[in-house]
Amino acid sequence: MNAWMTYLVWPLVKFLVAFIIVQVIVAAMNWVERRLLGFVQARLGPNRVGPKGLLQIIADPVKFLLKEDIVPASAEKVAYFLGPILPLIPTFLVYCLIPFGPPPTFVAARVNVAILLVLALTSTGVYGIILGGWASNNKYSLMGGLRSAAQMVSYEVPFGLSIVGVLMMVGSLDLVKIVDYQATNVWNFIPQIVACFIFFVSMNAENNRTPFDLPEAESELVAGYHTEYSAMKFAFFMLAEYSAMLVNCCLLVSLYFGGWTLAMFGHGLTSSALRHWGWIGGLIGTAIFFVKVMTFMLVYIWFRATFPRFRFDQLMDLGWKWMIPLALGNIFVTAIFILAGQERLMYWIGIAVLGAVVYYMKPKRVHASRVSEA
Amino acid sequence: MQVEYPKPKWSERFLLLDMLEGLKTTLRELFRPKVTIRYPEERLDPADRFRGMFRFSFDRCIACKLCAVACPIDIIYIDVHDEQREVDGKMKKLKVLDRYDIDVKRCMFCSLCEEACPTKPKSIWLTTKTYELATYDRNGLYFNMQELEYWENRPEFPGLPPEVEGGEPPKQIPGAAE
Repeated sequence: MNAWMTYLVWPLVKFLVAFIIVQVIVAAMNWVERRLLGFVQARLGPNRVGPKGLLQIIADPVKFLLKEDIVPASAEKVAYFLGPILPLIPTFLVYCLIPFGPPPTFVAARVNVAILLVLALTSTGVYGIILGGWASNNKYSLMGGLRSAAQMVSYEVPFGLSIVGVLMMVGSLDLVKIVDYQATNVWNFIPQIVACFIFFVSMNAENNRTPFDLPEAESELVAGYHTEYSAMKFAFFMLAEYSAMLVNCCLLVSLYFGGWTLAMFGHGLTSSALRHWGWIGGLIGTAIFFVKVMTFMLVYIWFRATFPRFRFDQLMDLGWKWMIPLALGNIFVTAIFILAGQERLMYWIGIAVLGAVVYYMKPKRVHASRVSEA
Repeated sequence: MQVEYPKPKWSERFLLLDMLEGLKTTLRELFRPKVTIRYPEERLDPADRFRGMFRFSFDRCIACKLCAVACPIDIIYIDVHDEQREVDGKMKKLKVLDRYDIDVKRCMFCSLCEEACPTKPKSIWLTTKTYELATYDRNGLYFNMQELEYWENRPEFPGLPPEVEGGEPPKQIPGAAE
């Protein structure tokens, strides 16, 4: 009976709680994204439904549920129904593996090859998109599906390679161990700044987000693979996309930004410090984790608001000619530093790069004469 | 025509500094004030010379019909009768307005009637800053002189008449049909 509880009931309960929280975040993200995009574009975004437009979160699903569900007459029926469901299942399963807080309570299933499993599950999401695009029996959908396949397969490579540097430094595939390593050393994004950048870019490409949203390029392909989908099936596609975004943000935070901890060199809120306070500490850790994740979701939206879409050959160029060599080079350099026992030197390189970026980003005073010339 | 672009610098090609510039711009725009005006709640005040709905003053009008003559599409309808009236102890022949109607639905807001008006200040003018003229009925845009003078407290539209097969024709405002 006890084994049933520990191995079946509790993990299921944890998974359900994580699932519900994640779904609420995903629904809220839709509103946050539209609102922020509006702000960037000097307008207000959805603000009519409820206070500040917050009830839009409820209004959207209700509208999706009430809309007519159209199936094209010439569609391949079984594949057409499988299309929206297939990308959902793996992204939901991944939430079992992600450590939302200190391990015993806040991880549904602690697996010692968690990263491998996560990569394997998330990369199956492309099947649903291809199936959906093909089954709609529409050339635009098919083009969208094919583009998505090409894009996701080519960005899977730098996505995986960028993680290798972290794995070499930590020496484990366990997400919990990676987070604990970062709390006792430096957060991985400082020594692995190049890998972190590659990871973020390829995670944008994996999710078909805007600089890389060729599969659903409105100006070329109507709406890409979900042209023929309406009502709840379309909502499933959106749900899968936003869930995958959230999964990737969780991964990014766990791998590079210290997960649920707020500590470096063992000082601050490490796992042991949080465990000292019992379940309240665990909740604090989860809160820290979600704050970090939401920050990166906002960065996603920031990128979407900023960058125009790539051309398809440019996209492939970036993937194969830049990201993959850069990731391989990063592995090589990391290996050299680890062999030489000079990991501290990598910290300084990372800090120098970050400093340069911050220095470049800092607001500069522009002389009035230069403004009028331009 | 071939456009010659300046050759990109090393930093522009490899370090993606333009992308950082773009991110900076969007971040700055995020906190700027927005241009949207939430119309029913917030309204822009039109400029002083904005031509809105007509306003008419019965007291100033001398019934000279110059505005009706000036109107290029003849939508101002004026009826006048003469009256003997005592002004300052003397009997005088005065023109009295019976009817001063404007068919605003055909108006193009050219403001020629206002220019033609000889009284000072004008007894017909358009610079009223009112632009919400929409009605549910064509006849709602035909105004008589009382309405032109007191359009601000115009009564609400009561709703469309029920459509009955072979029923009574839509209500006509008296004098609207020519």
